[in-house]
This record gives sequence, structure tokens and C-alpha cells, in this order.
Amino acid sequence: MKYVAIIRQVPDGESKIKVDGGRVNLEGATLILDQMDEYAVEQIIRLKEAHGGEAVVVAFGPERTEEAMRTALAMGADRGVLITAEGYVDPVTQAGALAKVLTEEAPDVVFTGGQQADWDSQALGAAVAEALGWPSVTWTTAFELEDGHAKATHDLDEGAEVVRVALPAIFTTQQGLNEPRYPTLPGIMKAKKKEIKKIDAAELGVSGSKVEILEQQIMELERKQKIIDGTKEPAAAAAELIKLLHEEAKVL
Amino acid sequence: MILVVMDHDGNELRKGALEGVSRARKLAEALGGEVAGLVVGPGAEGVAEKAKDYVSKVYVVSGPDWEAYTAEKWAKAAHAAAEAAGARVVVAPASRTGRSWTARLAVKMDAALLEDTLDSWAEGDKVYATKYSFLNRVLEKQAGTLPAVISVKPNTTPLAEPAGAGTVEPLAVELGELEKKVEVLEKIAETGGKVALTEAEVVVTGGRGMGSAEAFQMIEQFADLLGGAVGATRAVIDAGWRPYAEQVGQTGKTVQPNVYFALAVSGAVQHQAGMNKSKVVVAVNKDPDAPIFKETDYGVVGDVHQVLPAMIEEVKKLKGA
Repeated sequence: MKYVAIIRQVPDGESKIKVDGGRVNLEGATLILDQMDEYAVEQIIRLKEAHGGEAVVVAFGPERTEEAMRTALAMGADRGVLITAEGYVDPVTQAGALAKVLTEEAPDVVFTGGQQADWDSQALGAAVAEALGWPSVTWTTAFELEDGHAKATHDLDEGAEVVRVALPAIFTTQQGLNEPRYPTLPGIMKAKKKEIKKIDAAELGVSGSKVEILEQQIMELERKQKIIDGTKEPAAAAAELIKLLHEEAKVL
Repeated sequence: MILVVMDHDGNELRKGALEGVSRARKLAEALGGEVAGLVVGPGAEGVAEKAKDYVSKVYVVSGPDWEAYTAEKWAKAAHAAAEAAGARVVVAPASRTGRSWTARLAVKMDAALLEDTLDSWAEGDKVYATKYSFLNRVLEKQAGTLPAVISVKPNTTPLAEPAGAGTVEPLAVELGELEKKVEVLEKIAETGGKVALTEAEVVVTGGRGMGSAEAFQMIEQFADLLGGAVGATRAVIDAGWRPYAEQVGQTGKTVQPNVYFALAVSGAVQHQAGMNKSKVVVAVNKDPDAPIFKETDYGVVGDVHQVLPAMIEEVKKLKGA
């Protein structure tokens, strides 16, 4: 069988975000394999370890995405395919190009992150599945293969459900799916020699984006930071807090 | 024509449906045409009788095939209704399920997808929206081409008022091969919460510092008292004290309540991504240097096990008054 993880490179959540001229500037930011995609990479490696076959990483993004792809290869994926395009391309447009690569690769199971840490989007997995005419399951917390199908547990708005899905299918990740491994030193050495095939997005018919980002700004709300010391008299502090919430903030 | 897909619980429209109507009306004013609605799934016929007060026409998709939600089916129903209505824009709630099937719908319609939007409007032959990005730390303005699919972030938009009686029209939608590929085997109910976390006006979140699963009884009591929902941090979920469904943060839910209580929560960036747009943030933590205090409007430095019981008593007094 063949398993694919669709990955992206995003800024580390802990690193500061800068905006220059109304656009986010990632210069100097630490860029990493999206943590939600780490679950996807881990899952395809586990599937390969359990059932045999090939674990392939696929991405759509700028040239630098290769770094994140090397991380996935160091974790244990076999090879990568990178569709290159500079600048913002919306997930629905990306889905069309990714679907073409997946048609060629013909995997049985595809995993990708439940939400991307830069776009704050949840669309990619479902959009690629739709472009392929495949089913998809979002926010997957448990997964197993059984006789040509997959059985998965996934989160809904409230509660969760267990589904049985015909393959090929796409699954998006949720925390709890697995515990991603760290790349080992031998893994990192091997990853340097693993194949990454690059395809220009234009060759797959991508010209522009349906959605354009016009302006970005840092959005941090000013907080009042009225902090009461309640270490000695907790009851008095609680009374003062509730009074402030009632009379000043008017939220109670 | 604008189509708004109206979420419901089988009996009543959800708040998200009425936020969607408000957005759809605004878009219809700019782009011309009327607003049509769609209700799908169990109870849709009954809900349509309520939905028709808000839109000119309500399409109803229901029957044995439509008992269980799947993204494939809901996208198919929305696509059929959009075609029947001749809609150039579809508006839907940005719930977790909504964001899954709208991605499919955008591909079906070859549409621009404006996702989890705070506001949206139309001008000329484009739609515009604002949304958060980079783990909720950046506000961005986007422009999309027509046709477009717009999902509405919960609690961002005034609820629509009824506008007179529209018509109800059943819509027959046949399931194709794709829609038969996902079979729902079992539903796992969300435990605890009486109020949907993402729609709650008050959220009370406990962190690792609560110390035990039992200590969350206090959190529940406080949340109940305020008509709010219970939240939890990743550490709490990983410890097995609370279900994943209650997690607030990057890998959990994003909330934007009127008031957010972070009790014994240290405030990692991943947690803040899920709550940093709350109107008022209240924190109790024994560590005065906890990062959460930088994100706090009103805070108490102290032991949550002493401060929270006192808070509960104070709120009881307030409610009794």
C-alpha cells in the first residue's frame, strides 16, 4: 500500500510575528513542519511500519518548504514531491494541483494537518479529497485499517463519531492521533539523500489564486491587567474580582 | 441570489444560522437578489417553518439518507440548493463541520473560499472578508472572486430579525457514489457541557494547576452558575481529566466569549490561540509570572482552590440579589 502525508512549512507558534508594509514578514522567524502535519507524517510512517508499502510526503509551497520536507524524511518518510509556487495561493486552488499529483501517486491513505498554523484554515484536506472525488474525515483521533476500509474516530462540533470509510480517502489530524517521533541523527543523515521531486505549480495549471490577501496587521488586544493579590486573603480578592466584573466590566 | 445554510439542532435554528442570515442580507444588498435558506437533516421540515421567517425561500433536504451528517452529503445538498437558487455566494457557519463541508462546496462550485470570517462584504464583482491568521495573532483582509463560499465565525455577527414569511420548498437530492463511501458507525456524545463551547458567552477553563479531575467539579459549578461552558487546556486533556471536546487552543476549539475565565492556566501560545479574542479575560493563578497574566483584564494571584470557592459564593450572592 501507499500512504501520503500532505505537509506545510509554517512559522513556529513561539516565534514573534512581524508585519512590514501591511504584510507578514517571515524573515528571521523560525520555520517548522506544521505541528498538525507532524501527526500526519507520524501516521503514514506507522502505517508503513505495520503494513509495509511506501510513505510519501507531498507539499505545495515556496522552495523553502524543502526544509520541512527534509524533517518529514528524517522522521522516516521515503521520498517527497514538492509543488513549488512563491506567494500566497489559496487552499482550494492548491487542492487542484495536489489532486493531480495524488492521482499520479495513487495512494490508499492520505493524512494532512487539521488546521494550518499560518492560514488558520481547515480546508486543505477536504478540498483535496473533493477534487479527487474521495471521501474525507476531519479531526481524526484514532485510525485503523481493516479489509480495504479504514475505521476512524473523529471530532465533530460536539462529541465525536466512529466512521467506516472506503479507500482511498483523506484524513485530517487532531491531537491525540499519535505521538510524533523526533528525527534521529541517522535519520537526518539519510534524509539528505532521499529524493525530493520538484514540480513547478504552473506545470499543473496553477495561475494565480482565487483569494488574495490584501492586508495583514498584528492583532493583539490591549488588556487591562488589573491584578489583585489574593495570596493572603483569597476571599477578599475573589469578592473584589467579582465586583469589578459586575460593576466595571459589566460581564456578570 | 445568496444562499445561507442554516444550522439547527433538529428543533431550533442555531445562533450561527441567524448570524449567517445577517451576513447574507448584507451581501444581497450589494450584489442584488434575495436570500434563500437551506436546512438539511433530521427535523429539517419542522425547522424550515421557523427558518422561513428569515429568508424568501427555504430549501429542505431530508429523509432517510440525511439522518447522519457527513461532509460529502452536506456539500452535495448545499451545491444542489445553490444551483436551484442560482446563488453566486453561499454563506455557512464556520463550525468545525461547516468548515469541512464548505471546503468541498468551494471545489464543487469552483469558488473562492473565505473561511472563518469576522466580517464580509461585496463590492463590484468581488467579495471581501476579514479573518484571523497565524494562530489568531494576525488580522487579515482578503478579497475573493465570484462565485464565493463564506463561512462565518461564531459570535461575530448580530443575529438577524425575522423579516416576514418566505416559502418552503423540498429539494430532492440523490446520493452519488462518493456520498456512500462514509458510513457513521457510532456517535460519541460530548460529556459534561450543557452549553456549546464555541457559542458560549461565558467560558470557564481549568488548567493543569487544578490538580485533579475531581477539582473540575468546582469549574462545572461555576460555569453552570454563569450559564457558561467548561473548557480545558491541553495538559488537562492529556492527563485524562476532561474530554478532548472541551479543549481550548490551537488543536482544540477557538472561543470568543464575552468573558473567559482561565483558572490555573499558565497560558502557552497554543492555548492563547484559542482564546485571545475573548472580550474580557479573567485569570487566577498562583504564579504571578504566568504568561496568562499578560493576556488578562482582571486577575487574582492566588491559589485557585481557595479563590474559586469564594468566587462561587460571591456570584451566588450577586444572583440572589
